Amino acid sequence: MYLLHDMPDSCSLIIRLVMDEAGLPCQAAPVDAEARRTDSDGYRAITPTGLIPALETPQGVVFETGAILLWLCDRHGLGPSEAAPARTTLLKWLFFVSNTLHADLRQLFYPESYVPKAAQDGHHALITARVKRHFALVDAAVADAPGLFAPGGLLAPYLAFLIRWSVLYASGPQPWFMLSDYPALALMAHTLEARPATQRLMAAERLGTTPFTAPRPATAPVAAAT
Amino acid sequence: MTYVLHTWPDSAALIVRLVLEELGVAYRTVTIDRAGGALDSPAYRALQPMGKIPVLETPDGPIFETAAILLYLSEKHASLAPAPNTPERAAFLKWFIFVTNEVHPTVMQIFYPDRIAGPEAAAAVTLTATARLREDLTLLDDMIARDRPSWLSPDAPSILGYFVATLVRWISTLESGHPARWPAGKFPALGEVFASLETRPAALAAAKADGLGPTIFTAPT
Repeated sequence: MYLLHDMPDSCSLIIRLVMDEAGLPCQAAPVDAEARRTDSDGYRAITPTGLIPALETPQGVVFETGAILLWLCDRHGLGPSEAAPARTTLLKWLFFVSNTLHADLRQLFYPESYVPKAAQDGHHALITARVKRHFALVDAAVADAPGLFAPGGLLAPYLAFLIRWSVLYASGPQPWFMLSDYPALALMAHTLEARPATQRLMAAERLGTTPFTAPRPATAPVAAAT
Repeated sequence: MTYVLHTWPDSAALIVRLVLEELGVAYRTVTIDRAGGALDSPAYRALQPMGKIPVLETPDGPIFETAAILLYLSEKHASLAPAPNTPERAAFLKWFIFVTNEVHPTVMQIFYPDRIAGPEAAAAVTLTATARLREDLTLLDDMIARDRPSWLSPDAPSILGYFVATLVRWISTLESGHPARWPAGKFPALGEVFASLETRPAALAAAKADGLGPTIFTAPT
């Protein structure tokens, strides 16, 4: 049994969906947003970065969404192993999504952490243009190697939630992101959304039946993308 | 097939070259004709769709993203990082991803602050990024001092060691008085790792190939 430190509508859901789809038992340990900020619940003793999610494993705590995904992949055979030729494709796109697409999106979710208020309009214009280019590249990759982005792998859940949060949680002028601009990603999101594991998780999290293709905010009290 | 590294001196390709040298595997390099627009050429975009450096051609196809290349090489040659499904893998992976996701983008913001919110906001962006970088390096330095991991250590080379050392090399080359310039001595555990790495034959060979001096990490020129 894994223990997943999580928050509503945050990156922990990516991990949760991958684990549910793979049938891996996982218990949620909710992290209180205020306690995390002030560290009054000692969350930084579990993970010194304070980042959500963190997964407790037999090898200790793993943090960083990309690291948890890759660790689960190798442990439970959820993608090409280090001996498989397709490993190159998995690694390059996982890292691109994690350190480029996701890292830039975080700037749209939390612009105040990166630029002064007066510069936020210019920031939004620059970063949204960049993120759209990233999504277009990933869209081409999905069209090129759809198997790697199928349900049951690491990349589809990761991308589907980034799509959801792009629609819901980016600051600045809206709408800046249209899923219909990226046909291969749209198909991927539809396919993942229809999976029973996705529907069960979304019902439990009160995120509706179309969390990726027509997302609406959680009806749960707190929602925060990370 | 020999590896082919598409490279540019003192870019992220240097990290890959350091690791290829350390592995002692056969490779050749292609220096990218940046001024001639090679990054935008259809041939290069077929290998690296973003037009960024580096890309490594392998028997399993081209691979880009610096961290992906490093991890691929360590897995392929079972060296320089804990292998999948070994006990140290979890701890290694989380800090490796932390460096590629948090530290590396922050260093790039310090070098290209204009790209975040235009030239007017560059000074503010630099200060914010510098504060974040200091926090992240403090986390890393504390972790090394506390855990003494084999995969980021003065006693043995690793892909993570060369990765962090090169990122810090770059901020060590910022002009004197720049807020983000590497404060030598402030991160002693990291400093020990860098001092040990730069004396290795692999580091000296990579430095020479890129036309850099002999102390590429602790006193870069």
